[in-house]
Amino acid sequence: METLDIPVISLSVAFLLLIIPVAISFRYGLKLVTPLFVSVVRMSVQLALIGVFLKYLFIWNNPFVNIAWLTIMIVVAVFASVRSSSIKISRIFIPAFISFFVATASVVFYLNTFVIPLDNIFDARYLIVLGGMLLGNSLRGNIVGISTFYRQLKIDSNHYLYVLSLGASHQEALLPYFRESVQLALRPTLASMATMGIVTLPGMMTGVILGGASPEVAIKYQILIMIAIVVSTITSVVLTILFTMRVCIDRFGVLRADVFRSGKQVSDNWLLKGWRSLVIQSGIRKR
Amino acid sequence: MVADIGVDSEDTICAETPEMRRIVIEFEKIHLNFYDRSVIKNLSLKINQGDKVVISGKSGCGKSSMLSLVLGFITPCEGKVFFNGAGVDEKTVWDVRKRIAYIDQDTSLGPGTVHDLLAFVSGLKINAHLNFAVDDLMKLFELKREIIQKNIKELSGGERQRLGIVIAVLLNRDVFFLDEITASLDKHLKRKVADFFLKRENWTCVIVSHDPVWTENSAVRVFDFEEKKWKH
Repeated sequence: METLDIPVISLSVAFLLLIIPVAISFRYGLKLVTPLFVSVVRMSVQLALIGVFLKYLFIWNNPFVNIAWLTIMIVVAVFASVRSSSIKISRIFIPAFISFFVATASVVFYLNTFVIPLDNIFDARYLIVLGGMLLGNSLRGNIVGISTFYRQLKIDSNHYLYVLSLGASHQEALLPYFRESVQLALRPTLASMATMGIVTLPGMMTGVILGGASPEVAIKYQILIMIAIVVSTITSVVLTILFTMRVCIDRFGVLRADVFRSGKQVSDNWLLKGWRSLVIQSGIRKR
Repeated sequence: MVADIGVDSEDTICAETPEMRRIVIEFEKIHLNFYDRSVIKNLSLKINQGDKVVISGKSGCGKSSMLSLVLGFITPCEGKVFFNGAGVDEKTVWDVRKRIAYIDQDTSLGPGTVHDLLAFVSGLKINAHLNFAVDDLMKLFELKREIIQKNIKELSGGERQRLGIVIAVLLNRDVFFLDEITASLDKHLKRKVADFFLKRENWTCVIVSHDPVWTENSAVRVFDFEEKKWKH
């Protein structure tokens, strides 16, 4: 079965559909036209470029180039996930990168080695495509996971410090925030898995069918990818929180203010509230 | 802390004279700044075992920061804090926190129920007879048994305050940091709480309060935080 190619003229007709969100935005004053325009242009340009790039990547199929490209994808994913939180990227880039790399690479190589299995586990068609799929989901999970963990810890700092003052270890004191963050991060993936096939026909499955494969093959790949997604997402979220904790929380168990982008302003406000707030600022001083 | 929790009970008399008592907390030439603002300037103070010390001074002068220095929540810019003779640092602070019970005016007891909190405290393995002591202490501080099932957020300020005190006592520690703990209580309960702590000679209590209920007691020493000297 051949995949029907879409002429560029026809593809441009698809863009006409965007009149609907633009009209809705004007009607209700949503101010979404500019961000929508920017997103659509970025998406189109990025995909066009990546289409060309992937074409050559698949032709070369060089293990080193493939690994290098996977690394670049991880770097971008780390930037995107940390940017959504209030933490300075410079402080947690390395721990977050290690978390993403370990979670993605281990699952992809496991699939390529034991499940599919491939003669060349660095094959671009699998390494890049599967890696991208997993990274996209890890990115979404980490945006929720990291943001929730540190936001809750800041909001609830009085209680956290109270628990520390009871004599709890910092693992004991952090456990409720950790649990909540990981559960929230996983919730969309789990909900998506639970309704798959009934409510949603996932992108990969659609792509494989449109690419000419039979639905049976598409379903096998979809099951495989969903298991991989849930494993890599939970692994990356857990590792990212655990690794970044070592940077963001000092050896006294206190959240460091200097790892937050708005740390000074926030701390100034806390300063006015009393000692519980003052303590948060321990990070601004030299240990 | 199962037995002997009544306010009228006789405490064991400390055989040591004040001079013989060991130093529990020592602040040595402490300077503390937040950004450009000096919060504590050249504080030197020794608190002995069994001392009942009220720290007096204007609001915002750094009295409470002094307590958080001992708990390791902040570190001084200069000087050193000692607890039982050992400097408070990132290694010792975890043990220091296990020796001190801290309560403040607005203790954030958490989001769950009172039962959840007590179960958590129980899980810290700090008191083998937790259930028995909880009932007695709640009765003593006039907390109804029914609040156990309530969400902490549903409690009144006074109930939360007394629950914080119950938990601090349950921790079975002998050093207490009491930061404005009588602020939300009526006169009768203020007296009850103050008597409860002040009657226990072996307990070291560092009290931050403007409430005269503490200073009326002759056993209490008052340290003027702004002048950095003992009043009496």
